[in-house]
Amino acid sequence: MAITGYLAEFSLAEMFQFLEQGCKTGLLNICTLAGSNTEGQKTHYIWFNQGRIVAAAGSLNQQGLVSMIGQRGWLGDRAASRLAQTCTIGTPMGLCLKAQGALTAEQLKLLFYSQVMRQVCALFELGDAWFQFDAKVPLPPAEMTGLSAPATEVTLAGLRALKDWSALADKLPEPTSALTSIIDGKPQLRLNQVEWQVWEFTNGSVALSAIANQLRLPVEKIQQVAFRLIVSALAEEIPLIAEPIALTPETEPAELSVASTEASAVSQSFLQNLVGFLKGKV
Amino acid sequence: MEIMRLVVTGPVGAGKSTFIRSVSEIEVVDTDRRATDETLMLKKRTTVAFDFGRLQFGTEMALHLYGTPGQSRFDFMWDILIRKAHAYILLVAAHRPYEFRSARRILGFMKQRSQIPMIIGLTHADCPGAWDAENIAIALGYLDANKCPPIITVNPNESASVAEAVIALVQHSMQGCLV
Repeated sequence: MAITGYLAEFSLAEMFQFLEQGCKTGLLNICTLAGSNTEGQKTHYIWFNQGRIVAAAGSLNQQGLVSMIGQRGWLGDRAASRLAQTCTIGTPMGLCLKAQGALTAEQLKLLFYSQVMRQVCALFELGDAWFQFDAKVPLPPAEMTGLSAPATEVTLAGLRALKDWSALADKLPEPTSALTSIIDGKPQLRLNQVEWQVWEFTNGSVALSAIANQLRLPVEKIQQVAFRLIVSALAEEIPLIAEPIALTPETEPAELSVASTEASAVSQSFLQNLVGFLKGKV
Repeated sequence: MEIMRLVVTGPVGAGKSTFIRSVSEIEVVDTDRRATDETLMLKKRTTVAFDFGRLQFGTEMALHLYGTPGQSRFDFMWDILIRKAHAYILLVAAHRPYEFRSARRILGFMKQRSQIPMIIGLTHADCPGAWDAENIAIALGYLDANKCPPIITVNPNESASVAEAVIALVQHSMQGCLV
C-alpha cells in the first residue's frame, strides 16, 4: 500500500526517519505544490533500499546519472550508455562503470554527493509538498552510483543547513520537554558541537529550556537541535510535568478524584468476569 | 468493591471521549469546557481535566475508565491518572500522520512513568489516507514486531467495537501481572 500525504503534516525529516527505521525499499515521490516556491510544480524522486537512500533524480527517464557524468566531462552520454548496456542486469551503473575503469571511486563519491546529498538536502527547504512512497517500484540501476547513505544522515545534513524553520515549528519538541537517549552508548553519526552538547542532556530529566539556559543559547536553537536528534533516531522527547493548575470543583469533581484511590491488585476472576460481561455486549 | 482502572489516552481528536461514552453505563462525567487555543480548530470542546466512565458488572466489581486531557500542558493530570491505572489504551487516528509525533510523545511520557499493560487502538482506519497498522507501529517507534503491543482497530462510536477493544486490553493484561 502506498503511503501518501503532505510534508506540512508529516515532514520530510519524519518521513526519512520512518523509511529508515522501517528498512523500507521503494520510491519516494515529492511533488511541489503550484505556487509554493519559485521553481513551480516539480516532482523529485528518491529511491530507498532497506532504509538507505540509493539514488535521487528529477525525472524518471533514467538519464539523470548519465547526464551528470557527461556534464563533468568524464564520459560522453553515448559512451556511458554503451558501456551501461554491457552491465549485468540490476547492477548499479556507477559500479559497472567503475568496474570497467571508466570512473574512479572518487568520482563515484562526487556523483553521489551531487545526486543525493546536495539534491535531497535542498528538499528540506520545501514548506509543503505532496508525497507518495511506493514500495512496489523497483530500484533504478541506471540512476544508482552503487553508494548509499542512511536516510537520517541526509536528514541531519539537510536540517543543519535549514535556515527557515517555520514549516517545522509545530513539529519541534516543547521547551518544557526533556530528551532521553534511545540508543546504546554514543551516537555513531557525526554530530556537530552543539548537537554533542545537547546530547549530553539526554537523560530524560532536563527540560530543553533549562538546557538552553545552561548552554546560553536561544531555546528555539535547542529545540531545533533536539528535533535533529529525535528524527535521527538518537533520542526521544519526554514531556515533563507542567506546572499544576488550580483545580476547581468545575474541572475536577471531588467524587472522581483518582489521587485518593490507591492502586490495588485485580484478581484473575475479576478479569474473567469482566471479559465475559463485555463479550455479551459485542 | 474491586475496581479496575483503565486509562484511555491519545492525541486531540483521536476519539477518547467518544470511546468512553460508548462503553460507560453511566452518563459520562464530562469535565469538558471550551478550549481556547489551537485545539479549537479540531474540536469545539476539548478535555481539560478528564472524562470518567463506569461499567459495573457485579455487586462488587466495576470497571472505571479515565480519558486523559487532550492538551499536553495538562499532563500533570496524566501523571495522576497513569500512576493509578491498571492498563491503558493509546488511541491513534490512522488517517492523521501529523498526530503520530504527538502520540509518540504521549507514549514516551507514559513509558517513563509506568510499565502497565497497554494496547494501541487505531481509529479512523477506514478513512482515505489511513496508514496500516504495521507502518503506524514503525512511526510510533516500535521497530521490533516482537516488542510491539497489540494493535487493534476500533470505532469509538460503536459500543460493540469499544467493548472488543476493552476485551483486548483486559486479555492482554491477563497475560501479565496486574498491580
